[in-house]
Amino acid sequence: MSEQPAQIDTALQEQLVAYLDGELDAEASRRIEELLTTDAKVRATMQELDHTWQLLDELDTGGVDERFTRSTLEMVAVAAADEVEQTRAAAPRRRRLRWLAIAVGATAAGLAGFAATAMFWPDPDKKTNERLVENLPVLENLDQYCQVENVEFLRMLQQERLFAEEADDGK
Amino acid sequence: MAVVVSESSARRYALDPDVRLMLEVRDDNAAAFEELVLRYQGRLVSVLDHLVGNRDRAEDLAQEVFLRLYRARKSYQPTAKFATWLFTIANHAAANALRNESRRREVTLPSRDSGPMGARPLDRMIQASSGAMPARQLDKAEVREVVRMALDALSERQRLAVLLNKFEGMCYADIAAVMEMSPQAVKSLLSRARCNLREVLEPYFENGDRPAPGNGASDED
Repeated sequence: MSEQPAQIDTALQEQLVAYLDGELDAEASRRIEELLTTDAKVRATMQELDHTWQLLDELDTGGVDERFTRSTLEMVAVAAADEVEQTRAAAPRRRRLRWLAIAVGATAAGLAGFAATAMFWPDPDKKTNERLVENLPVLENLDQYCQVENVEFLRMLQQERLFAEEADDGK
Repeated sequence: MAVVVSESSARRYALDPDVRLMLEVRDDNAAAFEELVLRYQGRLVSVLDHLVGNRDRAEDLAQEVFLRLYRARKSYQPTAKFATWLFTIANHAAANALRNESRRREVTLPSRDSGPMGARPLDRMIQASSGAMPARQLDKAEVREVVRMALDALSERQRLAVLLNKFEGMCYADIAAVMEMSPQAVKSLLSRARCNLREVLEPYFENGDRPAPGNGASDED
């Protein structure tokens, strides 16, 4: 029977493994090396850890054959072709959507501009226009009114309703 | 999601020749992709084989990893060494595969008591193997088989850490990045893994002693 593997505490074991893996800084490495020269149990543990690590070299890490390489590249080539096809199929739709977005955006911008202009920049001729609309019947008959040159005469005509039908039409 | 990479870290990782190849793949250089496949296919399949315990599945997973890598090329940013990035993808792919496998097994074989890897219990494996070697005349194939059994007896995380450290030569920081844990946790994980391997392999190779039940088969991380 072999002797029981040397028992050392977990922290020291971690340090030994890290030492073997070259993960310790100079100071920690120096402490481990000192310990290895003075402590036979630590030395034995270290040797066993190292030996079992070397045994892993026996594992089969064989490569792959050419068939694997070929099928991998073919699989990726198919994926790449699908990708290109999908991009091509999506292109006209994307283009249509882009034009639609531009049209909607331009219309919205135009409406917003019109609303903003109307809100913040009132029409200076608005009152004049309102007065013109209000006096439209007068303007329409201005030539006739100019020939009469007498408002009293017009009132008299209105009272006698000689031209009632025309006056109703003019309102 | 866009990854922000500092200029200094991008410059540092750009020194990695495989990162440079991947940047060419990002620019749709097919030859660069083929070169990466040739460089990594054997190593990737080997690690996945030890993780999932089946060569055919390992090859399928490796192809899936290369496909994911290709599909992710446009968003690739050199935030780590290429190998670290590749094995992070491989780790996720293997974990998903094992989870699915585990679910399937729960449904079909509820009484089976092996771990999520489906590994055979260590004592049964060793017993089966040691019965045929009274004089400890171990040939190479047998040694390989026993070492493989010892590796299979580790927990998934211990096994992955061992494979990345031993065969990919990754430092603790890179293993930590792949496994999404701290370097200190990797240090503890590897220490426990190597202790488990030692406890199984040393007595076995020295005297043919069958390890005590449970030795080296710890699943705790």
